Amino acid sequence: MYSAQITRANPTCIILLIDQSGSMGDPFSGDSARKKADFVAEVVNHTLHDLVIRCTKTEEVRNYYHVSVIGYGRSVGSCFSGELGGRPIVPIAHVADYPLQVKSSYKRVSDGAGGWVEIPVRYPVWIHPTADGKTPMCEALTRVQEILRGWLLEHPRGFPPTVLHLTDGESSDGDPNEIGRQIMSLGTDDGTVLLFNCHISTRRSAKIEYPTEETSLPDGFARTLFEISSRLPTNFLAAAAQLGVNALEGSRGFVFNGDPSSIVQFYEIGTSLTGMTPYRWMDDRTELA
Amino acid sequence: MSSAKQSTTWDLQLRQLLLPKLGHEAAECEDAIAIDKQASRFAVADGATESFDARNWAERLAQHWVQRKSTLTVEEFRDWVATEGRELHDSWNSLTLSWYSEEKARYGSFATLVGVELDLNTEPLSWQAIALGDACLLQCRNKTLLKSLPLSGSEGFNSGPVLVASDSSLHENSMKSVVTDSGTCQNGDVLLLMSDAASLWCLQRFESGDLDVDAFLSVKSDEELQEFFDTERMAGRIRNDDLAIVRIEIKWSKS
Repeated sequence: MYSAQITRANPTCIILLIDQSGSMGDPFSGDSARKKADFVAEVVNHTLHDLVIRCTKTEEVRNYYHVSVIGYGRSVGSCFSGELGGRPIVPIAHVADYPLQVKSSYKRVSDGAGGWVEIPVRYPVWIHPTADGKTPMCEALTRVQEILRGWLLEHPRGFPPTVLHLTDGESSDGDPNEIGRQIMSLGTDDGTVLLFNCHISTRRSAKIEYPTEETSLPDGFARTLFEISSRLPTNFLAAAAQLGVNALEGSRGFVFNGDPSSIVQFYEIGTSLTGMTPYRWMDDRTELA
Repeated sequence: MSSAKQSTTWDLQLRQLLLPKLGHEAAECEDAIAIDKQASRFAVADGATESFDARNWAERLAQHWVQRKSTLTVEEFRDWVATEGRELHDSWNSLTLSWYSEEKARYGSFATLVGVELDLNTEPLSWQAIALGDACLLQCRNKTLLKSLPLSGSEGFNSGPVLVASDSSLHENSMKSVVTDSGTCQNGDVLLLMSDAASLWCLQRFESGDLDVDAFLSVKSDEELQEFFDTERMAGRIRNDDLAIVRIEIKWSKS
């Protein structure tokens, strides 16, 4: 299970589900300058950038992934706009070709002789920060389920879809447990859908990352998210270990009261999949200027 | 009456196989083979799938190795890899690239490499090899494994092999892992240069005493070699990866 090679003939599906409720416009605790929605949009854009780069073969982007970014707040739907607007799921080559804009900047890199040089880099943008409305989590998960059902009909074989859900609060439209379980029961011949949840907090509370059991969780909402979080397969555990994250056999893909670093790691671990060398291994000599 | 003087020379019987991953076009294969039988120099390189222009980089490394005439030192290796890398990066300057190709090109290209040079004028025949990463040279005698480098066994393989970067600023650590070695051959020895999937397959079979190795070592033609690995692939006994194999059987030839 969770070992199928990801190829163009057998691509996998990655769904980024983002809470865009009004509270996402609040800052992280202890960091009044940084709004959660701004940071999440930045990380999502960076994640899409990394997925594109992983699939880039010289001048071609191979469709190893089909990607969806769904937001929920005032409404539920795709966060893509422009050329990608109105499409619930798109092949990664289309993501590559249709960012809303490509920003240019400079990055400081080692010159290999103990010094640093600045080189031009490009930062594509696909989604902008949004924070408005309530938290219709059940409706959003139902939308995800619809997308998955359609995608799985055409892709019954291969590495199963991964859903990375990020939220900062409790559902405003009911208990997400049932729909979460339904999503986790879908799958391919290589395993069931992986649903991972990252809860971020405005309060100063101890974060809980990738727990193995729910006894350590503080309340019913945390336990609900734990129950609808898949266990991390071996490849994901290896990715977590590479990042220095303490995840064990049996750990759920679940973070509670996460901070900004938790979000970055959540997306890195959640998109590590299998058979793909992490893009960042080539990046360890660089730093942002 | 004196009999005519009979001289003995070495004869190299070559087989080679270069196959893309199943489901891929031949042009998508990022492994490379280079052979100069005249100079008795052979190389296999494996372009890292996720790097930019990997096939071109693998081909450059393998070709450069077989075209060299000089001896083997890590310092020389480092110098010519840096030169080849600069030329590769220069070749990209004239291209108009999309944002993603530009980003990818910024990191350059990566590959593993194994090269061997045989000296047919020595008795016994001698070889020198250089290797970096998980493309391996195996020396087999009487269907047993005599030597394997740079990795000596299947436990040495993982998803992050040491790679030769086209960007020389990344050579500091990788060049520490370059392996050079030498040895001698007897009549009937088989030298195998192989990219990672085939190397791993072969080492695992030697370790388990699997009879498949005998069949592999006994192939009589390039076609037989391909048929053999097609069967292994269809049975799921070898990872679906590009395959590059050069098989050199060393024989006495009396004239």
